Formats: sequence, C-alpha cells, structure tokens
Amino acid sequence: MPQDDDGLSQDQVERALHETPGGAFALAGLTVGLLIVAWVAIYLFVFLPRGPVG
Amino acid sequence: MTDASERDVARSELRWGLITIAAVSVIMLAVIYAGVVMHINPPSNVERIDPKGLHLSAEFTEANLGTKVEANGQITARIVTTQFAFVPRCVILPADTPVTLRLSRPDVIHGILVSGTNVNTMVVPGFVSQVHTTFRKTGDLLMPCHEFCGLGHSEMLATVRVVPKSEFHPGPDGRIACAAK
Repeated sequence: MPQDDDGLSQDQVERALHETPGGAFALAGLTVGLLIVAWVAIYLFVFLPRGPVG
Repeated sequence: MTDASERDVARSELRWGLITIAAVSVIMLAVIYAGVVMHINPPSNVERIDPKGLHLSAEFTEANLGTKVEANGQITARIVTTQFAFVPRCVILPADTPVTLRLSRPDVIHGILVSGTNVNTMVVPGFVSQVHTTFRKTGDLLMPCHEFCGLGHSEMLATVRVVPKSEFHPGPDGRIACAAK
C-alpha cells in the first residue's frame, strides 16, 4: 500500500473517516439532546403552568 | 476519498438532518399546542389612541382607571403607565376568571410583565396594549416595568392582587380597588 507524506496508509485514512462520525454524532447528539430536554422541561414545568395569555 | 466514504458521509448527514428536523418538529408542535389548545399566544392587539389626550379620553381618565366589571360581565383592569409610576399602583382581580388588562401611556415606551404568569407586553405610546389572561394563583403579584424608560425605571412597580373569586366583591358601579393592607 502506498504511503502518503503524513505516514498514513490509505486504509488507515479510510478507517478513520469511517469511525470519526460515530464520536461526532455522540457529542452532537448529547448536546442537542440536553438542549431539547431543557426546552421541554421549561415548556412543561414553567411555561404551561403560567396559564393562558393572548 | 473513496465512493464508499462519500456514501458514508452522505448517509451520516442525512441521518443528522432527520434528527434536527424531528427536534424542530417537536418544538413546533408544542408551540402550536400551546397556542391552539392552551390559548397561550403573544398579545396582538392593535388599537390606536392619542397619547397627548390620554387623560382626557373617556377610557383612561383617572376616574376610569383600575378594575371594573363591565356590563357584559367582562372584568377589565385599566392602567396608565407613566414615568415613573403605574396608575393605579395596585389592581385587584379574581383568580380562575378570564380578565383583561388594558394599558396605555402618555410619554415613552414602557413594558410590563406580571411575575409568575405569561403576561408580558410592551406599552407603546399611541397604542392601547391589551392582554387577556386567567390568573391561577392568588396573592400579590409584582408587575414591574421591564422596558428601560428613564432614570426612575427601577422604581416603577405595581401590584396585581389576585384574590379568590369568593372574595372579589365589586361595588354597585362595578368598580373595585385594592384595600390598604
């Protein structure tokens, strides 16, 4: 297998590209999930109990 | 990048796109539910009034301010916001009853919120701000000005006194004011 200047083989690059999105999705899913949970919690426990307005 | 990698990336982006669409859809449905079912909407009354003659107009003359039960049974509290006071400083309203707050001002932009409720509106010169609500808890609720209106802004406070329906006794003219505590 030919080596690039960075010393990584094409196989190693392909494997990294294949595995990296898993970590990115875990991090993004956690942060966005926490954001949604916080929004829903304020909606259910603060916003709705404060009553109708218009 | 190989074709397989390109496909992996495209699939990943598609999945993440679906997740974000689902999250936004949940929030939109919750907002629509609050508006349509729970009647929680931004106050949207557009009603003009001459700010120069506010105290001379029929509705916002001093004698007509405060809480009044109208002939049709509707309970309305009329309040003038000025630099740097609310007139009157206290309005009394019944709990668990639809009520209307009507506010206007002769000078600059003010804003009000009633603590612990969703009541929150700007009070803009030349317009009447109107908010319909139903108070669910009794007690003295703080109503501060929340729009910086000058040096005395921080002193600009009023009280919404929410009492049980059984303790809400307007006079023969339909008016009721906060009793001194």
